Amino acid sequence: MFAFDPYSPVVDADPFPFYKTLRDEHPCFWSPQAGMWVLSRYSDIVSAGQNWQVYSSAKGNLMTELPNRAGATLGTTDPPRHDRLRGLIQYAFMKRTLEALADPIRDIARSTAQALRGKDRFDFIEDFSSKFTVRVLFAALGLPLGDEQTVRDKAVLMVQSDPHTRAKGPEHIAAYNWMQDYASNVIAERRANPQNDLISHFSMAGIDGDRLDEREVLLTTTTLTMAGIESLGGFMSMFAFNLADYKEARQAVVANPELLPDAIEESLRFNTSAQRFRRCLQKDLTLHGQTMREGDFVCLAYGSGNRDERQYPDPDVYDITRKPRGHLGFGGGVHACLGTAIARLAVKIAFDEFHKVVPSYRRTQEQLAWMPSSTFRSPMLLELAVH
Amino acid sequence: MVSIIYVEPSGKSHAVNVEEGWSLMQGATANGVDGIVGECGGSCACGTCHCYIEESRFAELPAPSAGEVDLLDTVAAELKPNSRLACQVQATAGLEGLVVTLPATQG
Repeated sequence: MFAFDPYSPVVDADPFPFYKTLRDEHPCFWSPQAGMWVLSRYSDIVSAGQNWQVYSSAKGNLMTELPNRAGATLGTTDPPRHDRLRGLIQYAFMKRTLEALADPIRDIARSTAQALRGKDRFDFIEDFSSKFTVRVLFAALGLPLGDEQTVRDKAVLMVQSDPHTRAKGPEHIAAYNWMQDYASNVIAERRANPQNDLISHFSMAGIDGDRLDEREVLLTTTTLTMAGIESLGGFMSMFAFNLADYKEARQAVVANPELLPDAIEESLRFNTSAQRFRRCLQKDLTLHGQTMREGDFVCLAYGSGNRDERQYPDPDVYDITRKPRGHLGFGGGVHACLGTAIARLAVKIAFDEFHKVVPSYRRTQEQLAWMPSSTFRSPMLLELAVH
Repeated sequence: MVSIIYVEPSGKSHAVNVEEGWSLMQGATANGVDGIVGECGGSCACGTCHCYIEESRFAELPAPSAGEVDLLDTVAAELKPNSRLACQVQATAGLEGLVVTLPATQG
């Protein structure tokens, strides 16, 4: 009998055969291990994402939600509260605001890449993407330097889940609590000494004359830090993984960095970082002959929608000329990723500079250790050998 | 399904069956219509899904939110009285046959 367990290490490593069976045979599937329904076809996921009145985010969007977080962040509120909260933050992540960050990001990319010069093998994650990501996020949010490595380690830990208990383990909760304490200190510091930066503005902002409540300020700052570091870093490792494996694609983007944006879009489709998010049904709904009940949780498997042959021909082929419009690599609809512009900008600059130092590389390990996470997918370590 | 007629910058028109509830932006990007980008994914954050709604039917659409009005000021092509962001307009049965014209540039 077919089973789909998003906590299984087998799914962490390669969810795609499971997704194909889900799409073809069980497009609305009850997973007892996940304790929720799973939608896997592109069109069903887009429809659910649009229908926030029925597919609510207010009970949390992570497959394995962190305690006391739902309802206090962008990803875990519904309109109209969500829209007003987003309105306070969004300007900082819009393309034209970010233009000022392009030069600092390039400096960070260049110096991080320079440190790889002369090495014949290295861990892309430890030696490049983590260092780059955390410094970019600190620059974007205006965080004080000094704790970068710890912040990165905690961000990566807090998004994980335990494959045996199918829940957050004590180490994940401890990382989450650490991140909240960290955010709390930054907020207090910014309120005492306001700067012209996102956290200063946000921590003193109000909505319609009401100040944001403390939980919203704290958990939104915590989530921005987590998402900024983990999602950006996770995606960079997936992009390097694809370029290491698909030599012709790598040679094309190295020869012509103008092709990097197309390659980034294809990797967002092909190896989506946020594989699965969840929603909570606000009324009974029948889909593909299955009746889901009000209060049931539903997984939107973005990573499957992006491999749906009903939307993308030959979906398992990595093709940087595909230009996969409408992909779900950043989700979609009102909850589409806040960081789309900074992610695209930072990844493009990072690989442009990385390829100047390391233009030719391959994976050293056939089997990778994958992060245990019901929501996100990326390797824990990606050793590359320089040709 | 709602039939929407998209007119690309080249003048070529496509009649597309869009799922009810999808945005006009999603209907275009999922069906290979040119002239629309939708860089932010539909969260009303980028202004790259600017479109012109068939003038005689413009009033049938729900009014834009304050966020959409702000962003319309930033679009790359000429802003006209019938300008909207396609990610903020949902395909509903009442919009059957609506003609949506796409500008020459999204910036």
